[in-house]
Amino acid sequence: MERYRDIVPDFEAFKAVLHRPLFNCCRINTLKMERAKLLERLDEKGVGWKIFDWYPFGLKLDVESPGKLLENLLGYIHIQEELSMVPPLLLDPQPGEVVLDLCASPGSKTTQISQMMNNRGLVIANEPSLARLTPLRSNCERLGVLNVAITRYDGRNFPRGSFDRVLVDAPCSSEGRERRGPGILARSNRKRSLDLQKLQIGLLKNATRLAKPKGVVIYSTCTYAPEENELVVEKVLDDARLERISIPGLKDCPGITEWNGETMRDDLSNCARYYPHINDTGGFFVAKLIKN
Amino acid sequence: MNSSEVAGLWQSRFGIPEKAFAGYRFFRKAQSVWMISGSELPDLSYEALGMRIMNLKDRPWKPTTCALQILGKHATKNLVHLNDSQAMIFLEGKSLPIESNLEPGYVVVLYREEVLGCGLYSHGIVISQLPKERRTTSCS
Ligand SMILES: C[S@@+](CC[C@H](N)C(=O)[O-])C[C@H]1O[C@@H](n2cnc3c(N)ncnc32)[C@H](O)[C@@H]1O
Repeated sequence: MERYRDIVPDFEAFKAVLHRPLFNCCRINTLKMERAKLLERLDEKGVGWKIFDWYPFGLKLDVESPGKLLENLLGYIHIQEELSMVPPLLLDPQPGEVVLDLCASPGSKTTQISQMMNNRGLVIANEPSLARLTPLRSNCERLGVLNVAITRYDGRNFPRGSFDRVLVDAPCSSEGRERRGPGILARSNRKRSLDLQKLQIGLLKNATRLAKPKGVVIYSTCTYAPEENELVVEKVLDDARLERISIPGLKDCPGITEWNGETMRDDLSNCARYYPHINDTGGFFVAKLIKN
Repeated sequence: MNSSEVAGLWQSRFGIPEKAFAGYRFFRKAQSVWMISGSELPDLSYEALGMRIMNLKDRPWKPTTCALQILGKHATKNLVHLNDSQAMIFLEGKSLPIESNLEPGYVVVLYREEVLGCGLYSHGIVISQLPKERRTTSCS
Protein backbone atom coordinates (compact mmCIF):
# COMPACT_ATOMS: atom_id res chain seq x y z
CA MET A 1 0.00 0.00 0.00
CA GLU A 2 2.89 2.37 0.76
CA ARG A 3 3.69 2.33 -2.93
CA TYR A 4 0.59 4.47 -3.50
CA ARG A 5 1.73 7.26 -1.15
CA ASP A 6 2.70 9.50 -4.07
CA ILE A 7 -0.39 9.02 -6.18
CA VAL A 8 -3.20 9.12 -3.61
CA PRO A 9 -4.05 12.66 -2.51
CA ASP A 10 -4.02 13.14 1.30
CA PHE A 11 -2.62 9.67 1.94
CA GLU A 12 -3.17 9.83 5.72
CA ALA A 13 -6.90 10.47 5.29
CA PHE A 14 -6.99 7.59 2.78
CA LYS A 15 -5.40 5.21 5.30
CA ALA A 16 -7.72 6.36 8.06
CA VAL A 17 -10.95 5.83 6.14
CA LEU A 18 -10.07 2.22 5.29
CA HIS A 19 -10.94 1.18 8.84
CA ARG A 20 -14.44 2.55 8.56
CA PRO A 21 -17.03 0.15 7.12
CA LEU A 22 -19.06 1.15 4.08
CA PHE A 23 -22.75 1.92 3.78
CA ASN A 24 -24.90 -0.75 2.26
CA CYS A 25 -26.12 0.44 -1.12
CA CYS A 26 -28.69 -0.66 -3.62
CA ARG A 27 -30.02 0.21 -7.04
CA ILE A 28 -33.73 0.64 -7.69
CA ASN A 29 -34.74 -1.82 -10.41
CA THR A 30 -37.09 0.18 -12.59
CA LEU A 31 -37.81 -2.91 -14.70
CA LYS A 32 -40.07 -4.00 -11.82
CA MET A 33 -40.78 -1.04 -9.59
CA GLU A 34 -41.20 2.70 -9.93
CA ARG A 35 -38.72 4.75 -7.99
CA ALA A 36 -41.29 6.81 -6.07
CA LYS A 37 -43.23 3.72 -5.04
CA LEU A 38 -40.10 1.97 -3.83
CA LEU A 39 -39.09 4.93 -1.69
CA GLU A 40 -42.59 4.97 -0.20
CA ARG A 41 -42.31 1.28 0.67
CA LEU A 42 -38.99 1.84 2.44
CA ASP A 43 -40.51 4.73 4.40
CA GLU A 44 -43.45 2.56 5.45
CA LYS A 45 -41.04 -0.06 6.75
CA GLY A 46 -38.92 2.51 8.53
CA VAL A 47 -35.82 1.73 6.45
CA GLY A 48 -33.67 4.85 6.20
CA TRP A 49 -32.34 5.79 2.74
CA LYS A 50 -30.39 8.49 1.00
CA ILE A 51 -30.24 8.94 -2.78
CA PHE A 52 -26.72 9.28 -4.24
CA ASP A 53 -25.76 12.83 -5.17
CA TRP A 54 -24.84 11.66 -8.65
CA TYR A 55 -27.35 8.94 -9.60
CA PRO A 56 -31.11 8.99 -8.95
CA PHE A 57 -31.48 5.19 -8.88
CA GLY A 58 -28.73 4.55 -6.32
CA LEU A 59 -29.50 4.55 -2.59
CA LYS A 60 -27.54 4.27 0.63
CA LEU A 61 -29.58 2.11 2.97
CA ASP A 62 -29.64 2.29 6.73
CA VAL A 63 -30.31 -1.40 7.37
CA GLU A 64 -28.12 -4.28 8.50
CA SER A 65 -29.03 -7.08 6.09
CA PRO A 66 -30.40 -5.41 2.97
CA GLY A 67 -30.32 -8.77 1.17
CA LYS A 68 -33.14 -9.98 3.40
CA LEU A 69 -35.49 -7.13 2.51
CA LEU A 70 -38.61 -8.34 0.73
CA GLU A 71 -37.94 -5.65 -1.85
CA ASN A 72 -34.70 -7.46 -2.67
CA LEU A 73 -36.26 -10.94 -2.83
CA LEU A 74 -38.93 -9.62 -5.20
CA GLY A 75 -36.33 -7.92 -7.39
CA TYR A 76 -37.43 -4.34 -6.75
CA ILE A 77 -33.90 -3.48 -5.64
CA HIS A 78 -30.46 -4.95 -6.24
CA ILE A 79 -27.73 -4.74 -3.61
CA GLN A 80 -24.80 -3.11 -5.39
CA GLU A 81 -21.77 -1.06 -4.39
CA GLU A 82 -22.10 2.66 -5.06
CA LEU A 83 -19.23 2.93 -7.53
CA SER A 84 -20.22 -0.28 -9.30
CA MET A 85 -23.04 1.80 -10.79
CA VAL A 86 -20.55 4.12 -12.53
CA PRO A 87 -19.47 1.99 -15.53
CA PRO A 88 -23.01 1.40 -16.91
CA LEU A 89 -23.75 5.10 -16.53
CA LEU A 90 -20.66 5.94 -18.62
CA LEU A 91 -21.42 3.15 -21.08
CA ASP A 92 -24.76 4.92 -21.65
CA PRO A 93 -26.53 2.05 -23.47
CA GLN A 94 -29.63 2.94 -25.49
CA PRO A 95 -32.80 0.87 -25.98
CA GLY A 96 -32.44 -1.23 -29.11
CA GLU A 97 -28.63 -1.36 -29.17
CA VAL A 98 -26.46 -4.47 -29.01
CA VAL A 99 -24.14 -4.39 -26.00
CA LEU A 100 -21.43 -6.79 -24.79
CA ASP A 101 -20.60 -7.23 -21.11
CA LEU A 102 -17.40 -9.24 -21.38
CA CYS A 103 -16.87 -10.15 -17.68
CA ALA A 104 -20.41 -10.31 -16.42
CA SER A 105 -21.00 -12.35 -13.25
CA PRO A 106 -22.76 -11.80 -10.86
CA GLY A 107 -24.48 -9.40 -13.22
CA SER A 108 -24.84 -6.22 -11.19
CA LYS A 109 -23.77 -4.18 -14.18
CA THR A 110 -25.45 -6.46 -16.74
CA THR A 111 -28.81 -5.92 -15.07
CA GLN A 112 -28.23 -2.20 -14.70
CA ILE A 113 -27.47 -2.01 -18.43
CA SER A 114 -30.64 -3.99 -19.15
CA GLN A 115 -32.64 -1.57 -17.02
CA MET A 116 -31.15 1.43 -18.84
CA MET A 117 -32.21 -0.21 -22.14
CA ASN A 118 -35.69 -0.78 -20.77
CA ASN A 119 -35.48 -4.50 -21.54
CA ARG A 120 -35.14 -3.78 -25.30
CA GLY A 121 -32.25 -4.46 -27.64
CA LEU A 122 -29.75 -7.09 -26.61
CA VAL A 123 -27.10 -7.49 -23.93
CA ILE A 124 -24.66 -10.35 -24.31
CA ALA A 125 -23.47 -11.24 -20.81
CA ASN A 126 -20.27 -13.27 -21.07
CA GLU A 127 -18.84 -15.22 -18.15
CA PRO A 128 -16.38 -18.11 -18.53
CA SER A 129 -16.59 -19.46 -14.98
CA LEU A 130 -19.16 -22.24 -14.71
CA ALA A 131 -19.60 -21.69 -10.97
CA ARG A 132 -20.31 -18.02 -11.54
CA LEU A 133 -23.03 -18.62 -14.13
CA THR A 134 -25.56 -19.50 -11.42
CA PRO A 135 -25.53 -16.13 -9.63
CA LEU A 136 -25.58 -14.37 -13.00
CA ARG A 137 -28.68 -16.26 -14.12
CA SER A 138 -30.36 -15.95 -10.78
CA ASN A 139 -29.90 -12.16 -10.66
CA CYS A 140 -31.22 -11.78 -14.20
CA GLU A 141 -34.33 -13.79 -13.30
CA ARG A 142 -34.99 -12.05 -10.01
CA LEU A 143 -34.65 -8.63 -11.62
CA GLY A 144 -37.01 -9.45 -14.48
CA VAL A 145 -34.47 -9.08 -17.26
CA LEU A 146 -35.66 -10.10 -20.75
CA ASN A 147 -32.94 -8.79 -23.05
CA VAL A 148 -29.89 -10.69 -21.82
CA ALA A 149 -28.31 -13.71 -23.50
CA ILE A 150 -25.49 -15.49 -21.69
CA THR A 151 -22.31 -16.83 -23.32
CA ARG A 152 -19.32 -18.61 -21.81
CA TYR A 153 -16.18 -17.66 -23.69
CA ASP A 154 -12.79 -16.72 -22.37
CA GLY A 155 -13.17 -12.99 -22.96
CA ARG A 156 -9.80 -12.88 -24.73
CA ASN A 157 -11.18 -15.25 -27.36
CA PHE A 158 -14.78 -14.04 -27.59
CA PRO A 159 -15.07 -14.74 -31.31
CA ARG A 160 -16.98 -12.08 -33.18
CA GLY A 161 -19.43 -9.21 -33.21
CA SER A 162 -19.83 -5.54 -33.99
CA PHE A 163 -21.16 -4.09 -30.75
CA ASP A 164 -22.48 -0.60 -30.15
CA ARG A 165 -20.93 -0.69 -26.67
CA VAL A 166 -18.63 -3.03 -24.77
CA LEU A 167 -17.99 -3.17 -21.02
CA VAL A 168 -14.83 -4.75 -19.62
CA ASP A 169 -15.28 -4.91 -15.85
CA ALA A 170 -12.06 -6.83 -15.48
CA PRO A 171 -10.97 -9.37 -12.89
CA CYS A 172 -8.52 -7.44 -10.69
CA SER A 173 -6.73 -7.39 -7.33
CA SER A 174 -9.79 -5.69 -5.74
CA GLU A 175 -7.81 -3.32 -3.54
CA GLY A 176 -10.73 -0.91 -3.62
CA ARG A 177 -12.81 -3.43 -1.64
CA GLU A 178 -10.65 -3.07 1.48
CA ARG A 179 -13.54 -1.52 3.46
CA ARG A 180 -15.60 -4.68 2.79
CA GLY A 181 -12.82 -7.21 3.38
CA PRO A 182 -9.96 -5.85 5.50
CA GLY A 183 -6.56 -7.29 4.55
CA ILE A 184 -6.90 -7.14 0.78
CA LEU A 185 -4.50 -4.22 0.45
CA ALA A 186 -1.93 -5.84 2.72
CA ARG A 187 -1.88 -8.98 0.55
CA SER A 188 -1.72 -7.09 -2.73
CA ASN A 189 1.58 -6.62 -4.53
CA ARG A 190 3.11 -5.54 -7.82
CA LYS A 191 3.90 -9.07 -8.95
CA ARG A 192 0.26 -10.15 -8.61
CA SER A 193 -0.87 -7.04 -10.48
CA LEU A 194 1.55 -7.77 -13.31
CA ASP A 195 0.10 -11.28 -13.65
CA LEU A 196 -3.43 -9.88 -13.83
CA GLN A 197 -2.25 -7.25 -16.29
CA LYS A 198 -1.62 -9.85 -19.00
CA LEU A 199 -5.21 -11.07 -18.75
CA GLN A 200 -6.58 -7.54 -18.57
CA ILE A 201 -4.69 -6.42 -21.69
CA GLY A 202 -5.97 -9.48 -23.55
CA LEU A 203 -9.54 -8.68 -22.52
CA LEU A 204 -9.37 -4.99 -23.38
CA LYS A 205 -7.70 -5.61 -26.75
CA ASN A 206 -10.38 -8.08 -27.74
CA ALA A 207 -13.15 -5.77 -26.47
CA THR A 208 -11.80 -2.96 -28.63
CA ARG A 209 -11.71 -5.28 -31.64
CA LEU A 210 -15.34 -6.30 -31.00
CA ALA A 211 -16.69 -2.74 -30.81
CA LYS A 212 -17.94 -1.21 -34.02
CA PRO A 213 -16.18 1.91 -35.40
CA LYS A 214 -16.99 4.89 -33.08
CA GLY A 215 -18.35 2.36 -30.56
CA VAL A 216 -17.83 2.90 -26.82
CA VAL A 217 -15.58 0.68 -24.70
CA ILE A 218 -15.57 1.07 -20.92
CA TYR A 219 -12.71 -0.47 -18.93
CA SER A 220 -13.14 -0.63 -15.16
CA THR A 221 -11.53 -2.22 -12.10
CA CYS A 222 -11.93 -1.86 -8.35
CA THR A 223 -8.21 -1.49 -7.76
CA TYR A 224 -5.60 1.26 -7.42
CA ALA A 225 -2.65 -0.52 -9.06
CA PRO A 226 -1.55 1.46 -12.14
CA GLU A 227 -0.28 -1.85 -13.59
CA GLU A 228 -3.94 -2.96 -13.83
CA ASN A 229 -5.33 0.40 -14.87
CA GLU A 230 -3.54 3.10 -16.89
CA LEU A 231 -0.86 0.64 -18.00
CA VAL A 232 -3.59 -1.60 -19.46
CA VAL A 233 -5.54 1.19 -21.13
CA GLU A 234 -2.32 2.50 -22.69
CA LYS A 235 -2.10 -0.64 -24.81
CA VAL A 236 -5.19 0.11 -26.92
CA LEU A 237 -4.65 3.80 -27.59
CA ASP A 238 -3.64 3.14 -31.19
CA ASP A 239 -7.15 1.87 -31.89
CA ALA A 240 -9.24 4.12 -29.66
CA ARG A 241 -9.15 7.51 -27.97
CA LEU A 242 -9.88 8.35 -24.35
CA GLU A 243 -12.80 10.56 -23.48
CA ARG A 244 -12.59 12.72 -20.35
CA ILE A 245 -14.83 11.44 -17.54
CA SER A 246 -16.78 13.72 -15.31
CA ILE A 247 -19.92 12.83 -13.35
CA PRO A 248 -21.66 15.75 -11.66
CA GLY A 249 -21.89 15.07 -7.91
CA LEU A 250 -19.07 12.50 -7.80
CA LYS A 251 -15.47 13.71 -7.34
CA ASP A 252 -12.80 11.92 -9.35
CA CYS A 253 -9.03 12.24 -9.58
CA PRO A 254 -7.35 12.19 -13.00
CA GLY A 255 -5.63 9.06 -14.26
CA ILE A 256 -1.90 9.09 -13.51
CA THR A 257 0.71 9.79 -16.19
CA GLU A 258 3.83 8.97 -14.24
CA TRP A 259 4.63 5.79 -12.35
CA ASN A 260 7.78 4.12 -11.03
CA GLY A 261 9.83 6.95 -12.47
CA GLU A 262 8.44 6.48 -15.95
CA THR A 263 6.32 8.96 -17.85
CA MET A 264 3.22 7.78 -19.68
CA ARG A 265 0.98 9.39 -22.27
CA ASP A 266 -0.71 12.65 -21.22
CA ASP A 267 -4.17 11.60 -22.35
CA LEU A 268 -4.26 8.88 -19.67
CA SER A 269 -5.26 11.68 -17.32
CA ASN A 270 -8.71 11.40 -18.96
CA CYS A 271 -9.26 8.21 -16.95
CA ALA A 272 -10.98 8.57 -13.58
CA ARG A 273 -9.74 7.31 -10.21
CA TYR A 274 -12.08 7.23 -7.24
CA TYR A 275 -10.65 7.09 -3.73
CA PRO A 276 -12.55 6.03 -0.60
CA HIS A 277 -11.84 9.12 1.49
CA ILE A 278 -13.04 11.53 -1.15
CA ASN A 279 -16.65 10.41 -1.70
CA ASP A 280 -16.86 8.00 1.28
CA THR A 281 -17.06 4.97 -1.03
CA GLY A 282 -14.87 2.05 -2.07
CA GLY A 283 -12.03 2.54 -4.56
CA PHE A 284 -12.49 2.37 -8.32
CA PHE A 285 -10.92 3.06 -11.72
CA VAL A 286 -12.66 3.64 -15.01
CA ALA A 287 -11.70 4.61 -18.57
CA LYS A 288 -13.99 5.55 -21.44
CA LEU A 289 -12.67 4.73 -24.90
CA ILE A 290 -14.11 5.59 -28.29
CA LYS A 291 -12.96 3.24 -31.01
CA ASN A 292 -11.48 4.87 -34.11
CA MET B 1 -42.19 -22.10 -30.47
CA ASN B 2 -43.82 -19.06 -31.97
CA SER B 3 -45.23 -16.15 -30.06
CA SER B 4 -48.90 -16.99 -30.63
CA GLU B 5 -48.55 -20.58 -29.42
CA VAL B 6 -47.01 -19.34 -26.18
CA ALA B 7 -49.46 -16.48 -25.84
CA GLY B 8 -52.37 -18.91 -26.41
CA LEU B 9 -51.43 -20.95 -23.35
CA TRP B 10 -51.08 -17.92 -21.08
CA GLN B 11 -54.26 -16.41 -22.48
CA SER B 12 -56.35 -19.48 -21.73
CA ARG B 13 -55.06 -20.05 -18.18
CA PHE B 14 -54.55 -16.45 -16.99
CA GLY B 15 -56.36 -14.24 -19.51
CA ILE B 16 -53.12 -12.45 -20.36
CA PRO B 17 -53.59 -10.62 -23.70
CA GLU B 18 -51.47 -11.67 -26.66
CA LYS B 19 -49.96 -8.19 -26.95
CA ALA B 20 -48.02 -8.75 -23.71
CA PHE B 21 -45.88 -11.16 -25.78
CA ALA B 22 -45.40 -8.91 -28.82
CA GLY B 23 -41.83 -7.98 -29.67
CA TYR B 24 -40.32 -11.03 -27.96
CA ARG B 25 -38.93 -14.29 -29.27
CA PHE B 26 -39.41 -17.74 -27.79
CA PHE B 27 -37.16 -20.76 -27.71
CA ARG B 28 -37.90 -24.23 -26.53
CA LYS B 29 -35.09 -26.29 -25.02
CA ALA B 30 -36.01 -29.71 -23.63
CA GLN B 31 -39.24 -29.02 -21.70
CA SER B 32 -38.58 -25.33 -20.98
CA VAL B 33 -39.61 -22.23 -22.90
CA TRP B 34 -37.42 -19.13 -22.89
CA MET B 35 -38.44 -15.56 -23.71
CA ILE B 36 -36.07 -12.86 -25.00
CA SER B 37 -36.38 -9.40 -26.53
CA GLY B 38 -36.85 -9.50 -30.28
CA SER B 39 -33.38 -8.38 -31.44
CA GLU B 40 -31.44 -10.42 -33.97
CA LEU B 41 -29.12 -12.82 -32.13
CA PRO B 42 -25.49 -12.75 -33.31
CA ASP B 43 -24.04 -16.07 -34.36
CA LEU B 44 -22.54 -17.26 -31.03
CA SER B 45 -22.75 -20.27 -28.80
CA TYR B 46 -25.26 -19.45 -26.02
CA GLU B 47 -25.69 -20.75 -22.47
CA ALA B 48 -29.03 -19.07 -21.91
CA LEU B 49 -31.44 -16.89 -23.89
CA GLY B 50 -33.49 -14.44 -21.87
CA MET B 51 -35.80 -15.71 -19.16
CA ARG B 52 -37.13 -19.22 -18.57
CA ILE B 53 -40.88 -18.59 -18.44
CA MET B 54 -42.56 -22.01 -18.36
CA ASN B 55 -42.08 -25.73 -18.03
CA LEU B 56 -44.08 -28.04 -20.30
CA LYS B 57 -43.03 -31.29 -18.66
CA ASP B 58 -46.07 -31.78 -16.46
CA ARG B 59 -49.79 -31.35 -17.12
CA PRO B 60 -50.78 -28.64 -16.66
CA TRP B 61 -47.75 -26.63 -17.80
CA LYS B 62 -46.11 -24.60 -15.06
CA PRO B 63 -45.25 -20.87 -15.22
CA THR B 64 -42.05 -19.72 -13.47
CA THR B 65 -42.32 -17.24 -10.64
CA CYS B 66 -39.98 -14.80 -12.36
CA ALA B 67 -42.17 -14.80 -15.48
CA LEU B 68 -45.36 -14.30 -13.46
CA GLN B 69 -43.75 -11.35 -11.69
CA ILE B 70 -43.41 -9.68 -15.10
CA LEU B 71 -46.43 -11.02 -17.04
CA GLY B 72 -48.81 -11.63 -14.12
CA LYS B 73 -49.78 -7.98 -13.89
CA HIS B 74 -51.76 -8.46 -17.13
CA ALA B 75 -53.61 -11.52 -15.79
CA THR B 76 -57.38 -11.40 -15.44
CA LYS B 77 -58.20 -14.87 -14.12
CA ASN B 78 -56.92 -17.54 -11.75
CA LEU B 79 -55.70 -14.84 -9.41
CA VAL B 80 -55.44 -15.15 -5.65
CA HIS B 81 -55.28 -11.99 -3.54
CA LEU B 82 -53.70 -12.40 -0.11
CA ASN B 83 -54.03 -10.37 3.07
CA ASP B 84 -51.06 -9.40 5.27
CA SER B 85 -50.77 -12.59 7.27
CA GLN B 86 -51.42 -14.85 4.27
CA ALA B 87 -48.73 -13.06 2.27
CA MET B 88 -46.19 -13.71 5.04
CA ILE B 89 -46.98 -17.42 4.96
CA PHE B 90 -46.83 -17.59 1.17
CA LEU B 91 -43.47 -15.81 1.12
CA GLU B 92 -42.09 -18.37 3.55
CA GLY B 93 -42.88 -21.00 0.93
CA LYS B 94 -45.72 -22.65 2.85
CA SER B 95 -49.27 -23.73 2.03
CA LEU B 96 -52.38 -21.66 2.71
CA PRO B 97 -56.04 -22.55 3.07
CA ILE B 98 -57.99 -20.32 0.64
CA GLU B 99 -61.73 -20.30 0.19
CA SER B 100 -62.47 -19.92 -3.48
CA ASN B 101 -64.01 -21.53 -6.51
CA LEU B 102 -60.88 -21.32 -8.66
CA GLU B 103 -60.13 -23.99 -11.25
CA PRO B 104 -57.46 -26.30 -9.83
CA GLY B 105 -53.98 -25.58 -11.20
CA TYR B 106 -51.37 -22.82 -11.16
CA VAL B 107 -52.46 -19.38 -10.00
CA VAL B 108 -51.05 -15.85 -9.87
CA VAL B 109 -50.58 -14.88 -6.24
CA LEU B 110 -50.92 -11.17 -5.47
CA TYR B 111 -50.58 -8.96 -2.45
CA ARG B 112 -51.53 -5.26 -2.55
CA GLU B 113 -51.83 -5.41 -6.34
CA GLU B 114 -48.27 -6.72 -6.70
CA VAL B 115 -47.46 -10.20 -8.00
CA LEU B 116 -45.62 -12.29 -5.40
CA GLY B 117 -45.30 -15.36 -7.60
CA CYS B 118 -46.76 -18.70 -8.56
CA GLY B 119 -49.02 -20.87 -6.43
CA LEU B 120 -50.60 -24.28 -6.99
CA TYR B 121 -54.31 -24.40 -6.11
CA SER B 122 -56.39 -27.44 -5.39
CA HIS B 123 -59.07 -28.41 -2.87
CA GLY B 124 -59.05 -25.13 -0.99
CA ILE B 125 -55.27 -24.96 -0.59
CA VAL B 126 -52.66 -22.75 -2.30
CA ILE B 127 -49.18 -24.24 -2.21
CA SER B 128 -46.39 -21.69 -2.63
CA GLN B 129 -44.16 -22.39 -5.64
CA LEU B 130 -41.59 -19.74 -4.75
CA PRO B 131 -38.05 -20.96 -5.45
CA LYS B 132 -36.12 -21.56 -2.21
CA GLU B 133 -33.76 -18.65 -2.65
CA ARG B 134 -36.67 -16.22 -3.04
CA ARG B 135 -38.38 -17.15 0.23
CA THR B 136 -38.27 -15.20 3.44
CA THR B 137 -37.24 -17.00 6.59
CA SER B 138 -39.94 -17.16 9.22
CA CYS B 139 -39.32 -14.81 12.12
CA SER B 140 -41.16 -16.78 14.79
C1 LIG C 1 -15.04 -7.87 -11.38
S1 LIG C 1 -15.88 -9.36 -11.77
C2 LIG C 1 -17.27 -8.81 -12.70
C3 LIG C 1 -18.39 -8.19 -11.90
C4 LIG C 1 -19.62 -7.93 -12.73
N1 LIG C 1 -19.28 -7.12 -13.91
C5 LIG C 1 -20.72 -7.25 -11.95
O1 LIG C 1 -20.85 -6.02 -12.03
O2 LIG C 1 -21.51 -7.93 -11.28
C6 LIG C 1 -14.85 -10.10 -12.99
C7 LIG C 1 -15.40 -11.33 -13.65
O3 LIG C 1 -14.55 -11.70 -14.74
C8 LIG C 1 -14.56 -13.08 -14.85
N2 LIG C 1 -13.39 -13.54 -15.64
C9 LIG C 1 -12.25 -14.11 -15.20
N3 LIG C 1 -11.46 -14.44 -16.24
C10 LIG C 1 -12.10 -14.04 -17.36
C11 LIG C 1 -11.82 -14.14 -18.75
N4 LIG C 1 -10.68 -14.67 -19.19
N5 LIG C 1 -12.74 -13.66 -19.63
C12 LIG C 1 -13.88 -13.11 -19.19
N6 LIG C 1 -14.21 -13.01 -17.89
C13 LIG C 1 -13.33 -13.46 -16.99
C14 LIG C 1 -14.56 -13.56 -13.42
O4 LIG C 1 -15.04 -14.91 -13.34
C15 LIG C 1 -15.49 -12.56 -12.75
O5 LIG C 1 -16.81 -13.04 -12.72
